[in-house]
Amino acid sequence: MSDVSAKKVLFEPIFSNNPIALQILGICSALAVTTSLSVTLVMCASVIAVTAFSNLAVSLIRAQIPNSIRIIVQMTIIASLVIVVDQLLKAYAYEISKQLSVFVGLIITNCIVMGRAEGFAMQNPPMLSFLDGIGNGLGYSIAILFVAVFRELFGSGELLGFTILASVNDGGWYVPNGMMLLPPSAFFIIGLGIWALRTWKPEQVEEPDFKMSAHKTREAF
Amino acid sequence: MAIRQFLDGIEHHFEKGGKHERWYALYEAVDTIFYTPGKVASTTSHVRDGVDLKRIMITVWMCTFPAMFFGMWNIGFQANSYLATNPDAMIADGGLREAFITALAVTGSGAGWWDNFVYGMAYFVPIYAVTFIVGGFWEVLFATVRRHEVNEGFFVTSVLFALICPPTIPLWQVALGITFGVVIGKEVFGGTGKNFLNPALTGRAFLYFAYPAQISGDTVWTAVDGFSGATALSWAASGGMEALETQIGWMNAFVGTIQGSMGETSTVAVLIGGLILLAMKIASYRIVGGVLLGMIGMSLILNIVGSETNAMFAIPAHWHLVMGGFAFGMMFMATDPVSASMTNTGRWLFGILVGVMTILIRVVNPAFPEGIMLAILFANLFAPLMDHYVVQANIKRRLARG
Amino acid sequence: MAKKKETVGKTIQVAFALCIVCSVIVSAAAVSLRPQQALNQELDIKSNILQAAGMSEPGANRERIEELFGRFTPRLVDLRTGQFTTPEELGVADVLSYDQYRATDDPNMSTRLSGDQDTANLRRRAHAATVYILEENGETVRVVLPVHGPGLWSTLYGFISLEGDLNTIEGLGFYDHAETPGLGGEVDNPRWKSQWVGQKLYDDNKSEPQIRLVKGGASPDSEHQIDSLSGATLTARGVENLINFWMGENGFAPFLNNLRDGEA
Repeated sequence: MSDVSAKKVLFEPIFSNNPIALQILGICSALAVTTSLSVTLVMCASVIAVTAFSNLAVSLIRAQIPNSIRIIVQMTIIASLVIVVDQLLKAYAYEISKQLSVFVGLIITNCIVMGRAEGFAMQNPPMLSFLDGIGNGLGYSIAILFVAVFRELFGSGELLGFTILASVNDGGWYVPNGMMLLPPSAFFIIGLGIWALRTWKPEQVEEPDFKMSAHKTREAF
Repeated sequence: MAIRQFLDGIEHHFEKGGKHERWYALYEAVDTIFYTPGKVASTTSHVRDGVDLKRIMITVWMCTFPAMFFGMWNIGFQANSYLATNPDAMIADGGLREAFITALAVTGSGAGWWDNFVYGMAYFVPIYAVTFIVGGFWEVLFATVRRHEVNEGFFVTSVLFALICPPTIPLWQVALGITFGVVIGKEVFGGTGKNFLNPALTGRAFLYFAYPAQISGDTVWTAVDGFSGATALSWAASGGMEALETQIGWMNAFVGTIQGSMGETSTVAVLIGGLILLAMKIASYRIVGGVLLGMIGMSLILNIVGSETNAMFAIPAHWHLVMGGFAFGMMFMATDPVSASMTNTGRWLFGILVGVMTILIRVVNPAFPEGIMLAILFANLFAPLMDHYVVQANIKRRLARG
Repeated sequence: MAKKKETVGKTIQVAFALCIVCSVIVSAAAVSLRPQQALNQELDIKSNILQAAGMSEPGANRERIEELFGRFTPRLVDLRTGQFTTPEELGVADVLSYDQYRATDDPNMSTRLSGDQDTANLRRRAHAATVYILEENGETVRVVLPVHGPGLWSTLYGFISLEGDLNTIEGLGFYDHAETPGLGGEVDNPRWKSQWVGQKLYDDNKSEPQIRLVKGGASPDSEHQIDSLSGATLTARGVENLINFWMGENGFAPFLNNLRDGEA
């Protein structure tokens, strides 16, 4: 670990070390909740809250956690936080929580949350861990919001429920792309997004597993 | 030899350091249309042959001609038969197409083979042109940026893609589909030779899932407005054998005077092109044999199992052969040398998997009427794995032999 | 330090403390938010009913929904007899706490349907259903009935609303399903749903509903036809079957006949 500054911890995960684009974590929920932007926004807020507070809590008691049960301790903290978030959504954002259904609960299994608790909060002071949680939550949010904008816009011609491209079924001209509403489209969009990101930041490109030797030719005639 | 001299004369502009260095891919493409490449591999063993990738691809392209020409005639035949009894019906997507048809041919009851052909041309040619221009644009763009050669595989991809489209598909969907097929199906993996999916089918599958209401609906198959015809597969699903025999007739389905995608309806025309490919050893007889074997085996099993509620169970193998895009997929799509298995045993396995999956999707899956497209894409995913195990088994056997 | 926290005693201590703290937080959240959540669920069902009845107002707040819904009288109907029944007979606290869909899985509260009765592939049918009746000046002007049945991938749950003649459809809406977006999912399309409005369930024979979903477009002269869903044959067939089942003699037809004759 080199120098750990608050600013770096907060902003690094957004583009330079994005949990979805570079670490390829938390993809499952990116497929499931990104068909509409409003649902995605609520999901983002939930994930940011859970990563931030679980990081904070784990970091606060990190000196007390026995090594042998540290994963279980982290899981318990994360699970409790997720249940609280789920209950809050059911009480104050019922419509959206119905659409999110099990995926709020599945934040527990989101590798980002667990990964940050184990990888960062166990070694760093509370404030920094809290910021790291927010930063990673934001990184996750940026990625899935990017996916959601494409999916809602091209899948139903709307953004946040407002019609942008009037669809044919409602008398407009836009033919909605049904594939955008199916989960695989999120894979394509994430893939294209990673392609664009790595063209912008070539240092993120991984080393090839093997190199093909050059094609050796000579003049035939 | 004037062309050779001209090409040689301008070659230095396109080589490294020349002023048109960026466009080398285009130069190379034109050069190798006229002449065999001037370079040969200098390392490891290499088989010398008069045929190269470009010649193979052009042969495949020409082998689609029977299906293509029959398809164009059939579009007109289907539309005119309907117009003959319903003279008030409108030609689908009027405008230029209608002007072209009425200028060169008669429609309705008096239409002869030439009139049918012109009618079909008005639909097929624009679709093929869009496929070719849009797909070619991506091909050249990637070749230029990535500095690989423009690949002739695209000739085949474009014609195959156009032939598996329904005649009244909107042209913008054609453009979108071929874009997806070429870019996501092929170029993101590094271009021809590195793609693990068949690009034409990838593009078609994209359209199938993106615009299901238009592609899998009932109104796309005949080039007349407001006429919804049922394909053989939908008759089979709703009425079983009885409906097939009375509504379609096996001979009609075999010859191809039925509704369907442009190049897929005629099993005869597809088989003519396919047999030439087999005779020239461009298509692997093992794959084709595997597909047939898998299809016949699976449909026999389902015939024996039977079902009270699902009429599709009782459809015999010889009907499966002539319905939908089975023959076309078997001859032209499954035999794609890049995305199919490369080992001989692997080819048998690959073919059988395609055949079995096609029947399973057609019969058991309630949502998708046609299965061959999805079956081939599915088998494409397993082709490398099959090859891997075949190679491993060979290595083991040789080791054991000492 | 590092060694000390690895002892068994310390481990148990930490685990115990953590469990206490977490369970207190979780149960506090669950208990304090329960009433609010129950209210939400109730409101959700009510707005679904209003939607089917064509009475929902976009952006209506809680009070407005309560007020609109308040005009309806929820009643329990025994589907075996076609008569109104009471919560006591069914063994539930009050009308709104009866859950038809839970009762469908309970062998004591539902009947197994035989093969030729079960035209919509439901397998079981609850003994009773909750219906919502709107009366004005002592006359029934609207009846909202729950319907459900399998489509292609999922079970569709919805409400159908009938006018006072108990024959003309006032609206249909599904609030829960998982059909393919763009194909079967078009059951939610307002343009498609609007075709149901004004169609008639029955001919002269008031126990056999005649609703048909027609491929290639409904005939404009027919009072019983609705356009099929393009590219979604099986979802459309499911909708047709479930409407005809629930409006038929094993569904609400006996009750509707009784209500029409004033004998329910």
